[in-house]
Amino acid sequence: MNAIAERFAEQGVGSIFLYTNEAHPGEHYPHHTSMAQKFRHAQALREVYNVTRPILVDALEGDCHIAYGSMPNMTWIFNQRGIPIYKSDWTDTYSVEQALRYFIEETPARRRAGARLAPFRVERLEYRQQDRAAFYRGLERNGPKAVKEFRAAMGE
Amino acid sequence: MSQITNYNYEAFTPENYLPLMRFDESPSIGVPAPDFPLWRMEDQSQTHLSEYWSQYRYLVVEFGSFT
Repeated sequence: MNAIAERFAEQGVGSIFLYTNEAHPGEHYPHHTSMAQKFRHAQALREVYNVTRPILVDALEGDCHIAYGSMPNMTWIFNQRGIPIYKSDWTDTYSVEQALRYFIEETPARRRAGARLAPFRVERLEYRQQDRAAFYRGLERNGPKAVKEFRAAMGE
Repeated sequence: MSQITNYNYEAFTPENYLPLMRFDESPSIGVPAPDFPLWRMEDQSQTHLSEYWSQYRYLVVEFGSFT
């Protein structure tokens, strides 16, 4: 996602990372009990994952996150008027890049070619690449409790 | 304020995380979305989501945490 942010920045695309709640609280990164702790976790996340985009922190009780569906790793794209034009319940860089190309390159090109376009909504199932090993490394980083609870929840 | 009382749950259990997974109830595509106060990580100053989307032609927002 950092690379996409850099690639599209010159075309008027802004990118932010919104830090939410710990989906898998563990000994090292437990559940949030204060904003001070939440800011510390966000700072640590920037260092661990090398997030180069601006990081914003949600309210302690997750008001924004909950209003937008509270999935652990969503991506939304808004236009300048605050209208969502893309939302996905999981982040997939291929999907996000395709969406940006559609809005920035393909749609303007169709208009330039004379097409008279009207908006409509579409839903479709997409497929993301899973990196199970990386996910487990993340759980281990949070602590053994996070690994144990995930395995128990998944019946592993 | 949110209606979810266990947002910052202590343990990843189905009874804790499943009530949070409400993407189907999230704002619709194509209509103005709700705005919320947010805080900049760098200096902990308050801002709003709208302050960011109004700056750009398009704004990509990734929600996330360590896992």
